[in-house]
Amino acid sequence: MASRYDRAITVFSPDGHLFQVEYAQEAVKKGSTAVGIRGTNIVVLGVEKKSVAKLQDERTVRKICALDDHVCMAFAGLTADARVVINRARVECQSHKLTVEDSVTVEYITRFIATLKQKYTQSNGRRPFGISALIVGFDDDGIPRLYQTDPSGTYHAWKANAIGRSAKTVREFLEKNYTEDAISDDSDAIKLAIRALLEVVQSGGKNIELAIIRRNQPLKMFNAKEIELQVTEIEKEKEEAEKKKPKKAV
Amino acid sequence: MPDGRRGRGGRRGGGEARDARGSCVAAAAGAEEVAACAGGRGHSVLVSSHVKVKAGGPRRDPHLHPGLEVRLLRRQTKTTLEVSLLEKYPCSQFIIAVGNNAVAFLSAFVMNSGVWEEVGCAKLWNEWCRTTDTLHMSPSEAHCVFYHLKSTPSVILCQCSCYVAEDQQYQWLDKVFGSCPRKNMQVTVLTCRHVTDYKTSESTGSLPSPFLKALKTQNFRDPVCCSLLEQPNIVHDLPAAVLSHCQVWRLPAVLYLCYTDVMKLDLLTAAAFQPVLASRSLKGLAKNIPQSTEILKRLMTLNEVQSNIYT
Repeated sequence: MASRYDRAITVFSPDGHLFQVEYAQEAVKKGSTAVGIRGTNIVVLGVEKKSVAKLQDERTVRKICALDDHVCMAFAGLTADARVVINRARVECQSHKLTVEDSVTVEYITRFIATLKQKYTQSNGRRPFGISALIVGFDDDGIPRLYQTDPSGTYHAWKANAIGRSAKTVREFLEKNYTEDAISDDSDAIKLAIRALLEVVQSGGKNIELAIIRRNQPLKMFNAKEIELQVTEIEKEKEEAEKKKPKKAV
Repeated sequence: MPDGRRGRGGRRGGGEARDARGSCVAAAAGAEEVAACAGGRGHSVLVSSHVKVKAGGPRRDPHLHPGLEVRLLRRQTKTTLEVSLLEKYPCSQFIIAVGNNAVAFLSAFVMNSGVWEEVGCAKLWNEWCRTTDTLHMSPSEAHCVFYHLKSTPSVILCQCSCYVAEDQQYQWLDKVFGSCPRKNMQVTVLTCRHVTDYKTSESTGSLPSPFLKALKTQNFRDPVCCSLLEQPNIVHDLPAAVLSHCQVWRLPAVLYLCYTDVMKLDLLTAAAFQPVLASRSLKGLAKNIPQSTEILKRLMTLNEVQSNIYT
């Protein structure tokens, strides 16, 4: 029975489950969707904007955060846990730079975050972090990277992935539509990210936030107008594709 | 007199008063669990008044809080009703929704089809109420509202979203049902309970919550829309009191209990009551199902509390 083995993080159940870690993964599903795409010369992060209260300052509700000039991450899950993880990662980025005089690689900082998360699955009295993160960036060698971490402390490299509320739907869309052609061009990779989000986001472009990193360039956040532009283009392309479809004989 | 056996499991001595009509009323004094009647011939009506003692908080003093009593008010004039509600407004179908999910279901599916007119409301106060001032309670805070359908006044609906305490249940029943309930009235009660209260030999993880269970009185002959509630499960609070009353007075009544894992207002839980729309009492009352689903969704978003925990 699950109830006897989920009270303390350090307890395995007889069939080998760590229930607290699995419950933490459920907490991730309560956050809004985030999608990451690794293009040839660009990495894209798109998130579903959480609806803010009328009196809330929108700028303080951010799902995409820069960890360093060349690395950024999007998360899904518990906001407060994300803040703690992001702070630690940022400090680690600078500490690394000061110690070895090189910026962190994307893989290094991902491994750092994953190790941090794993530590919290093996200490008593502490619960796991309830967030999954998509970490994107370019290394010094100019290769784009996308990694995903989850509450258990595992991390993997992906070509494209989604986390959060409707991650399964978005991932299925990406599996169908992610082709080498689709991501060869920067604008195509951006459009793919937006199209993936539009599958699950209600009320279209105004609930989407987008960030990109191009090789040797800093993080760029898209403003609402630019996103609207992209959405309009996507809708136009959709209409044209519909028109081109051969009409069935009545 | 009912032909059922009566069991009583009281841990502390509680009084059991019989009023002039011969029906059994257990006075809840302190924390006491009272297991009540088992009707005969396989129609088990197991009810329980489970007293929750709240630590601290305002005590119910009849002088300070005239809301100890249940006041039934007439609409428009807002004066107290002299007779019981069902004597004043006799009906053939009495549908009660207890709890926020059941109330939301009736609001979305039944009340939006047809014109419903408010005929009265029950005002009461107990430790679980949010407001402390009962004298100046606004109509929107009166948690038990009664409606009848303008086109068919023989159908009465009760939306009860407040908690009716054990020692108020008798008064509530008295003021609503009165002393001579009509024999040809059928009562339907809708309510929710947390799935952890459902006793079963299966693992709770494998239960398809939310799911419906039914419990009916001996005189209820119509087919039920879901499987019956198995023993040793029991029903609690106001739905139990209503069902007991109906069993004692030989009224046909059925309770549809939705076991759910989300006790707050939830779309899936409220929608789980949909099979009940096929029953005789609710058939014809729900006309526009797709629109009702939209209304239900809107009710959910209206009541959603802004939360910043998850991003």
